[in-house]
Amino acid sequence: MTAIELRNASRWYGNVVAVNDVSCMLGAGITGLLGPNGAGKTTVLHMMAGLLQPSAGEVLIDGVAAADDSSIYRRLTLVPERESTYGFLTGREFVRMSARLQQLADAEDAATRAIRLVELEDAQHRKIATYSKGMRQRIKVAAALVHDPDVVLLDEPFNGMDPRQRLHMMAVLRAEAARGRVIVISSHILEELNDLADNVLVMVAGRLAASGHYRAIRRLMTDRPHTFMIRSSDDRRLAAALLSDASVFGVELSTNNGSGAEGGGGGIIVRTSERSTLTHHLPRAARDAGIRLLEIRPTDESLESVFSYLVER
Amino acid sequence: MSGAFTVDRTLVWLSARQLFAKRRAVLALGLALIPLVVALVFRLLVSDSSGSSGDFLIGLARDLVIGALLPLTAVLFGTTAFGSDIEDGTLLYLLLKPVARWRVVLWKYLVAVVSTAAVMVPAVLLPWLVVRGPDLPIQVPLSLLAGLGVGSVFYCAGFLALGAWSRRALVFGLLYVVAIEMVLSRNLTGVKAISAREFSLAISQKLLGNSAALVDKPVTIATIWTMGTLMLVVGVGLTLWKVRGYEAAERL
Repeated sequence: MTAIELRNASRWYGNVVAVNDVSCMLGAGITGLLGPNGAGKTTVLHMMAGLLQPSAGEVLIDGVAAADDSSIYRRLTLVPERESTYGFLTGREFVRMSARLQQLADAEDAATRAIRLVELEDAQHRKIATYSKGMRQRIKVAAALVHDPDVVLLDEPFNGMDPRQRLHMMAVLRAEAARGRVIVISSHILEELNDLADNVLVMVAGRLAASGHYRAIRRLMTDRPHTFMIRSSDDRRLAAALLSDASVFGVELSTNNGSGAEGGGGGIIVRTSERSTLTHHLPRAARDAGIRLLEIRPTDESLESVFSYLVER
Repeated sequence: MSGAFTVDRTLVWLSARQLFAKRRAVLALGLALIPLVVALVFRLLVSDSSGSSGDFLIGLARDLVIGALLPLTAVLFGTTAFGSDIEDGTLLYLLLKPVARWRVVLWKYLVAVVSTAAVMVPAVLLPWLVVRGPDLPIQVPLSLLAGLGVGSVFYCAGFLALGAWSRRALVFGLLYVVAIEMVLSRNLTGVKAISAREFSLAISQKLLGNSAALVDKPVTIATIWTMGTLMLVVGVGLTLWKVRGYEAAERL
């Protein structure tokens, strides 16, 4: 199975350190590469793609240095962030050119399949210069996937796509991941990676701040309180019952006045230092007080909150 | 069809499409037809029997075609071959393929040379067709075209490197044409040894022999071999160096 490995990889430009001592191993599935602007995401992607030599450390694709051999591009592809393409070519010519440079046996057939994959059949004979931003992104993806690569690196692939196109592209990437592809997506649109990525790498100021599933990362962040929204048949009494738990250090009544079909109030916001203690204590406390629990929802386990905690550090 | 041939054919196709895109085809056609217009005006004003057609065509070739149109066309195509790829970042689409970078450089260079030389064909043949007579056999335009072909080889090597290394390659290329080729090389003997224009004139003169006087003191063939080879190696070598070391993130 294909894997990307970074071993203490660093990259600097003169005195500026873009990527600092990053180590990680990525396998099949979708990995989100997150970070604020200037965090080093593109540099990491370009090192993985063999376009940049690491200044120190190693970047390996299946144990082979990514930057050493152009034959790696038979198995690896990158969709760059820059919008520019050959505007004087039609979409089909662009994808077919990629297929021919990949020396595919049937470039026409491969181009047809790749264009169908991104749903650009109707516009394939138009010059790329006339395409919208979203269409350019899609034709870039088609050209990148035309040779069925094992490793797909995408730099901000959803830029310029409308919601329907985004959903379609996410479905395409999920399907590719399900076929065992290693997919790395750099994006600042956290909501999309929330649904899409099995794994995240969070880059902050050139360093790898965290890696893994974002919920697992969140659980490891013990210095940050975990916050839950709980709705019950009697929010006030439940709040009083929970405050007896040492791990709960804050309860407030939610300002949301809405109530569900099952009744109950707007809910309470509970802050706890020990996630597991609360999840054990809560059902017992509710049962002892004769309160029915209607809804329990973590409010800061989204990728966005994990990301913002890490970036704020 | 072998894979390498498919790759080469695709690189040639892309390079040619790129060179003639964005109104450059119209510009190249305009450059190619200027000598024809001048020849037509000459034919209208000067009678066939005056015997001045030979002098006219040689003067036209020396001052307009070799002296101006050749370097201008070479600047246009040579600086565009890589300039637009590096400027727009589209070079990535070639570098992210299992294709050696030297192959990309080689084909882009050769397509620029052939395109430049191709524009010179109508620039020489059409005026020759208009003014031709017994003193202007087919050997005359063919000799001129051979010189222009050699000039294309050397000019494009230099302008290819300029396009790869500078964002203002077109401006610097035009400055070079005006300063070195149009002013200095005509007045300073030493500069002739690094002038592709002088190389073109010398080759054409050599082939024309005594049938026409294109240039008084042509540079020697030995000079063309040594200095031309040097220009070629430096130009293509610098381009290869730039492309081999191209790192996309440096443009971000």
